[in-house]
Amino acid sequence: MENIDYARLQMAFTLGFHIIFACIGMVMPFFMIVSHYKWLKTRKPVHLQLTKAWQKGVAIFFVTGAVSGTALSFELGLLWPEFMKHAGPVIGMPFSLEGAAFFVEAIALGFYLYGWNKLPEKFHWFTGVIIGISGVLSGILVVSANAWMNAPSGFDVVNGEFTNIDPVAAFFNAAWFTQALHMTLAAFVATGFAVAGIHAFQIRRNKKPELHKEAFRISIFFGAVAAILQPLSGDLSAKDVAERQPVKLAAMEAHYETEKGAPLYIGGIVDEEEKSVSHKIEIPGALSFLAFGDFDAEVKGLNAFPEDELPPVSIVHYAFQTMVGIGTLLMLSGILFLISLKKKSWRDDRWFWWLFAILSPLGFLALEAGWTVTEVGRQPWIIYEVMRTSEAVTPMPGLQYSFYLYVLVYLSLAITVTWLMKRQIKVLNNSIG
Amino acid sequence: MLYVVLFFTFFSLFLYVLLGGADFGAGIVELFSSPENRKLNRETIYKVMGPIWEANHIWLIILIVILWIAFPMYFNIIITYLHIPITLILLGITMRGVAFIFRHYDAVVDESQIWYNRMFRISSLITPVFLGMSFGALVSGRIIVSPGPQHGFAEIFMLPWLNIFTLLTGFFYAALCAFLAATLLIGETEGEARKIYSRKSAIATIVLVILGGLVLLYGFLTDMAFVKDFVENPFSVAAILLSAVLLIPLWRAIRKERRVLARILAGSQILLVIFAAVNTHFPSLIISAEGDVNMLQGIAPEASINILGITLIVGGAIILPGLFHLMKSFNMIKFSIKEESKN
Ligand code: HDD
Ligand code: HEM
Ligand code: HEM
Repeated sequence: MENIDYARLQMAFTLGFHIIFACIGMVMPFFMIVSHYKWLKTRKPVHLQLTKAWQKGVAIFFVTGAVSGTALSFELGLLWPEFMKHAGPVIGMPFSLEGAAFFVEAIALGFYLYGWNKLPEKFHWFTGVIIGISGVLSGILVVSANAWMNAPSGFDVVNGEFTNIDPVAAFFNAAWFTQALHMTLAAFVATGFAVAGIHAFQIRRNKKPELHKEAFRISIFFGAVAAILQPLSGDLSAKDVAERQPVKLAAMEAHYETEKGAPLYIGGIVDEEEKSVSHKIEIPGALSFLAFGDFDAEVKGLNAFPEDELPPVSIVHYAFQTMVGIGTLLMLSGILFLISLKKKSWRDDRWFWWLFAILSPLGFLALEAGWTVTEVGRQPWIIYEVMRTSEAVTPMPGLQYSFYLYVLVYLSLAITVTWLMKRQIKVLNNSIG
Repeated sequence: MLYVVLFFTFFSLFLYVLLGGADFGAGIVELFSSPENRKLNRETIYKVMGPIWEANHIWLIILIVILWIAFPMYFNIIITYLHIPITLILLGITMRGVAFIFRHYDAVVDESQIWYNRMFRISSLITPVFLGMSFGALVSGRIIVSPGPQHGFAEIFMLPWLNIFTLLTGFFYAALCAFLAATLLIGETEGEARKIYSRKSAIATIVLVILGGLVLLYGFLTDMAFVKDFVENPFSVAAILLSAVLLIPLWRAIRKERRVLARILAGSQILLVIFAAVNTHFPSLIISAEGDVNMLQGIAPEASINILGITLIVGGAIILPGLFHLMKSFNMIKFSIKEESKN
């Protein structure tokens, strides 16, 4: 492998890592303030206990999110200095706003964590709301910077220099809305199902059922609603990609030939050498319909593009299938949960809790898969049709060592955080009350 | 707007050196304490820094974001040629942040605390050393901005930041952090503890002055352009002398327990040191092997600078009062004894 491959691996690894912490740090505050609100309303000790337990989670994830994010903001430059040199002035606006949002979040968190019994109750609760809002805002802002890499706008390229820069137009690029919407929903789906699953597992073991049921109710509610909206938003994204990056769409669907009334493939094994897909299920006309809202529309195949502008097809295709598969499953489970609000008897069944315990990691799996689609599907471009990834990479050799270092550090971090969460739950289960 | 952006650049640099520095310093002081004092230190810094410690480090992010948006050429040099020390800084920041939160938020308190503490103290020392080394590297005239085939890996990526001068600047910055932390903590403690911090602060001051002298002396003896210019620049020399003179009222303020005054004085000393360093060569804040690199060359187009400036003003208007209020609410800034007795 060459230097650039290690750079890409490192970027993928650190981003894939950050996104988990960032999503949890972004969504947990919402669970926390709902529980906190219930405590203020009902004064039932469970709610207070739950709020305090979640607050610790928020603090731990905020910090891990923040340190991994700090590393990232350097890493963009460390690994892709040529990219940052040209892109910085163009997409700096979302990043500087993001900086402001982070700051607000950190201040609000300071008030929230240290404000128990010191601040007026309502104001204290409200600082929790601010944590949530500013977290979501920062997520939306970074994603719009990423969307710009897919749909560059707000500048002209003259002799390799970026001129006529308009940061506002760059921010409101063609992809920002669909991506930001889809990402925000994804964060709620992934965190909602992950947290709910952990509590479902505890309920199944009959540990502190009252507390865990409360926790389950709050978190799955967010997760279920978002999971039901997610495929709708995914459809918008797909239409957007079809318009903007036809080659990515073709790779997502492993679609080699240009045709009218293109079929949708479900499953399938891609052979990149032979340029064919075997073992697939075909739904006639469905791809044309999904991409353009017309069963007869023409969908461009991979063969219509120059060989050196194709992304790695199989990775993108498998990742896309994974995301959509999980998305469908989670949507159905979300509906199931909403029905269980009426059919309370389901909840006395063990399978109900089992199901949600098993679903726990899937949201995050879909989230990582979705990012793989977006990022790998953009290759070989770092800025779509403007700059190649190979033109952006740092001249510094030996990147494998920094890659190994990051893997080592982040893996040990991940293990430690998991272990800490386990201890939190254990303490919670053994506490009185 | 360029001036607004420049102002915020140096403002965040100042605040990062000051607040981030005090934060690192707290760990350094803890590292050099006896076991029983360590426990005391741990609790004191949690009380004092806890609510704002996260905010302290965001100044670094703001600084980086400004650099990459507004001064892309300049940022490009730093990030390319200081790749290795910056990676090490990031590692340090990661370990430290994580260790801090682990040791205060772990639900079970057991022997794993020993590891968290160790990690916290060691990364508190290492990180500012590499930060200081990176600052030193920028002005020491060894970065090769347009390397050719005759230059090897070490020459391009190692030697510019790994030499005696940068080691001295690295330890200088670490000492500065320790000094800041000890000075801050004096105001937060009573009785026996206060004596301990006073002693620490005194030791840190002495180390600081010695290292500062060594940096200048070494640079002078080796004909370093930056140090030569520094010594010949009357404003820089005046600023450094003034900051040395301010040590006297600082010590008096500490003895008289005038915390606010002590902090203002410590803050102004940092301001003076930064001013002295920046003023010497502004706007050429990188001195490379090929000569000065002007920060204001190759800056971002006006549209980007304007948007950035507006963001900074608006953001500052929201954030600074919030931050101030946060510090005040939790007694970081004590205006008077009266206010304190009210709480
Ligand atoms: C919980 C996670 C999750 C779930 C259940 C889904 N997605 Fe997704 N998807 C993401 C998480 C995600 C993501 C990780 O958040 C991405 C990457 C970039 C982005 O904006 O969202 C993404 C990207 C993404 C893209 C590429 C956008 C681009 O490259 O600009 C498309 C076309 C879809 N999704 C479509 C779908 C469809 C049709 C789904 C139907 C079930 C679906 N997603 C479920
Ligand atoms: C889709 C991708 C991303 C999302 C949704 C996201 C979201 C977030 C969120 C919500 C936080 C707040 C941390 C918390 O509340 O736990 C955070 C932290 C951070 N992120 Fe990301 N991020 C993404 C990618 C990036 C990238 C590419 C960068 C680098 C430029 C970055 C830089 C940062 C920084 C610097 C922080 C720490 C700020 C602080 O100290 O609070 N993020 N991110
Ligand atoms: C947090 C969610 C994200 C994940 C999981 C993710 C994943 C990835 C992956 C897998 C790659 C490697 C692609 C390849 O080389 O084949 C990559 C590259 C990259 N990503 Fe992302 N990404 C995320 C968000 C972002 C955001 C928000 C930004 C910028 C604002 C960003 C900027 C980049 C850059 C600059 C590269 C390197 C150039 C390239 O390979 O195209 N990413 N990312």
